[in-house]
Amino acid sequence: MLADDMACNARNEYPAQVFNNENHKLNLYGDNVEVDYRGYEVTVENFLRVLTGRHENAVPRSKRLLSDEGSHILLYMTGHGGDEFLKFQDAEELQSHDLADAVKQMKEKRRFKELMIMVDTCQAATLFNQLQSPGVLAIGSSLKGENSYSHHLDSDIGVSVVDRFTYYTLAFFERLNIYDNASLNSLFRSYDPKLLMSTAYYRTDLYQPHLVEVPVTNFFGSVMETIHTNSAYKAFSSKTSNSKINSEMPLNQLSEDDELQKANIPNDELKTEKQKCPYTQMRVDLQEKLEKLENVDTVVNLSIAVMFIVVMVSSSLL
Amino acid sequence: MEGTSGSLNPTTDTSGIMPEFDPKTMRSSKPGLKRLFITTSVLFSFLLGVPFLWKSVEIYRSPLPFHDIDSLSDQIESTPLRFPCNFHAVFVGFRSTDADNLRSQIQDGINQLTHLSPQCGSCSFSLSVTIQNPAEQCSETLGHNPSSCSYRCGMIKSNDFGVGLDDTVDESLNDVFSGCSANSRKMYSVVVVNKENANGEDEVKAVVGKRRHAWIVGSGLEERNDDMVSRVSEIFVKMFMNGGRDEDSIHGEFMPVGSDGRIVLSFSLLNSNPRDWVYDWDFQRIDDALLAPVTKALAPIANISVESQVLYHTPKSSFSSWDEQLQSYIFRTSDLPFFVNSNEWHLDTSAGASGRSKILQFVVYIPSGSECPLLLQLPNGEISKTNGFISPMWGGVIVWNPGNCDKDSESPIRNTISPQDIEQIVEIFLGQFRQLFGFKSEAIYTSVLGTYKILPSERGFTEWELDVLSRKHTCFNLHSCSTTLSSLSKLVRSLPRMIIKDEIGEQVKYSLKAAKLAQSNASLGGYSSSASSSREARSLAENAFFHPSIMSVSYFSYEHCFAVYSPFFLPVVAHVVLAALREWKRYRQEKAKYLTWLTRKKTA
Repeated sequence: MLADDMACNARNEYPAQVFNNENHKLNLYGDNVEVDYRGYEVTVENFLRVLTGRHENAVPRSKRLLSDEGSHILLYMTGHGGDEFLKFQDAEELQSHDLADAVKQMKEKRRFKELMIMVDTCQAATLFNQLQSPGVLAIGSSLKGENSYSHHLDSDIGVSVVDRFTYYTLAFFERLNIYDNASLNSLFRSYDPKLLMSTAYYRTDLYQPHLVEVPVTNFFGSVMETIHTNSAYKAFSSKTSNSKINSEMPLNQLSEDDELQKANIPNDELKTEKQKCPYTQMRVDLQEKLEKLENVDTVVNLSIAVMFIVVMVSSSLL
Repeated sequence: MEGTSGSLNPTTDTSGIMPEFDPKTMRSSKPGLKRLFITTSVLFSFLLGVPFLWKSVEIYRSPLPFHDIDSLSDQIESTPLRFPCNFHAVFVGFRSTDADNLRSQIQDGINQLTHLSPQCGSCSFSLSVTIQNPAEQCSETLGHNPSSCSYRCGMIKSNDFGVGLDDTVDESLNDVFSGCSANSRKMYSVVVVNKENANGEDEVKAVVGKRRHAWIVGSGLEERNDDMVSRVSEIFVKMFMNGGRDEDSIHGEFMPVGSDGRIVLSFSLLNSNPRDWVYDWDFQRIDDALLAPVTKALAPIANISVESQVLYHTPKSSFSSWDEQLQSYIFRTSDLPFFVNSNEWHLDTSAGASGRSKILQFVVYIPSGSECPLLLQLPNGEISKTNGFISPMWGGVIVWNPGNCDKDSESPIRNTISPQDIEQIVEIFLGQFRQLFGFKSEAIYTSVLGTYKILPSERGFTEWELDVLSRKHTCFNLHSCSTTLSSLSKLVRSLPRMIIKDEIGEQVKYSLKAAKLAQSNASLGGYSSSASSSREARSLAENAFFHPSIMSVSYFSYEHCFAVYSPFFLPVVAHVVLAALREWKRYRQEKAKYLTWLTRKKTA
């Protein structure tokens, strides 16, 4: 969910582009970035609807959180915030008890197995004060009473481009490659309070596994759990006949079709009863006759010619 | 009154003629009621308006049957659902006549294997044994209900076994036991055949058929009685009750049915680099001939629909390395979690699936020319026979290498995958589909006692496997339905000012009805009917719970309602009430004054 208030701001010299660094090397709105909720759709209500899954029927699948009881979810929130709230669009607030309530409903409906919440705002740790559901891990960029600061200012655009907590998180991931088995503990230990100018506080009382044993790919990197398929199910190889696609339909299929047709017979009887009306019968007969004719066009042409002759004859007689 | 002089010395001068008049404590005229009437009428009109105000801020809440929901959830928690199964063991070519002894031995064997607490969806079985001696005379256990299903002596001959294909044996056994499938009680049979020592082999062969029967063939089986009894109980418990898996219950990770009871199978053929070669498939024929039986077989469990697409320019995101020995590119099982490239593979583009259906993605990946042939190497060094893997609740991927890896330097030809290759791919897909439902993809079961060959069915699942699926899914659906309904009732009760629409009330009512129907069908032994009504119960409960109007953010508490209306009414009401009280007090005072004046006048 991106409010796009900076990317689409009238005063942005680089419209629809957001950079992570003042050297403008990486446009975060790259080719493959998929944003499902943008602009005015980013509201507290939509956010809670996404979490709890209560959408209108017409909402497409791309705008839903399609998780199930084995999913690991990463929830990352940033913006302005304060004591037990987070600001949405400069107009609304998300309260910590609303978030805790949504997470509780998610857990009751088994919409996740593990949930990680990362919050980068001022007094971020207060936002997950009221959480009580098991399986949730939360980290905030600052404690109550502390502010979170931005990293550096882009003098070209005139605003700061990235916050400190986010910057150091990205720096941690840039140092990893695909086969490193870094643990969440190393991620959390990499935050230096002196560099962040605030204390990154995390709560693990609701999360059972030890952080040293949990790889970061549990939440980051869109990595799937896989099971190898040992063997094929040889349903067709046991038959010595021809390939099934080219063969005739097997007998048992035919008999099942017969059964279906027997079920359809009562409907046919109803139809024949309706057709006993003489007028419709006549029309149907006429239609059938017409359909049987090979060349309807010549008949029509002939009849037009005959009509013309009749008209000429009758008008000359008068 | 006398003049002012009188007021100077009132008490001494005016005694005798007129009683003293103290304006502070007396008044000469009766106090009027007009002032009191005006103020109390204003107060009264305010009080009259209170019920109208109350009605206007009342919210509509459709009455939910909380009591029924609680009783359903208690029922499901306390008594795990069990289905009636009939087990029948036939021993052919055995000389003993003590059927009851065998029956108790087999029963002990079964009880040993199911010694854990009864799981939801398991069988409450009744066992009967028939022994047919070589002279084709039978002895049966007592107490077995004589129904049309009972085995007619002599129908199974030991000569039928051991010759010909297993499929023909299966069909002939089906003719013997087919009278039972018409009944609602499902009968599972195991036939143990003791052949005369024909070719001196000591081998015992055990096969589980496609319907609901299995057979064990061997020679000299009567001597190995205990072994036979344990194998028979193993077939009953491990195969017919648990479906060939080792655990008793299926985890939620292997029940990929969406909450509206639908599954969408989405097949994608991925041409990773169409500049090298382009492959296409005739999916319509695949669907009609090979997939239709599977979707029909699973109809009680889920409403399955199939769709397909062909995609181009879809590289994978993991890496592979060239292996000189195998002359092919190798990727390992450690690469599998990174194989699916969610950025470039636009798989979930189904327009037909509604929000709550489950989509299972089946991907056939054709590698590019720079990575052909691409083989999967298992941790023990072997090469995978299927080149495929699944991800639970997501789907499966098969890597299919084109037969000829030489690239054409001219423009790529469009090829169609040949029907033989299609059959192989669909066989792997069926194995993956079974894995996604918690079954094994291979058609063999190995235990300490021996191996059992399982005959594969072209419907993807044998009938006894479908029975296991129906039982487990009924259980899961009912459990899910009851937890959803109790969460809903807790939520509704916690927000007293939330509007509950009629639609939600209706859905809850029908869901409870379907759940009761499923429970009664289960107790009667109708596996597929209980599976479909439990699926309906779950889908209605989920529709009610996920109704978009139940958002706590939109509704406010009683305190909020009070806080909104009090600035309008509280100041005015305070003034009116105070005025009425003041007038009432004044009236009483004046009345008291008047009464004292009257008593003074009387005594004077």
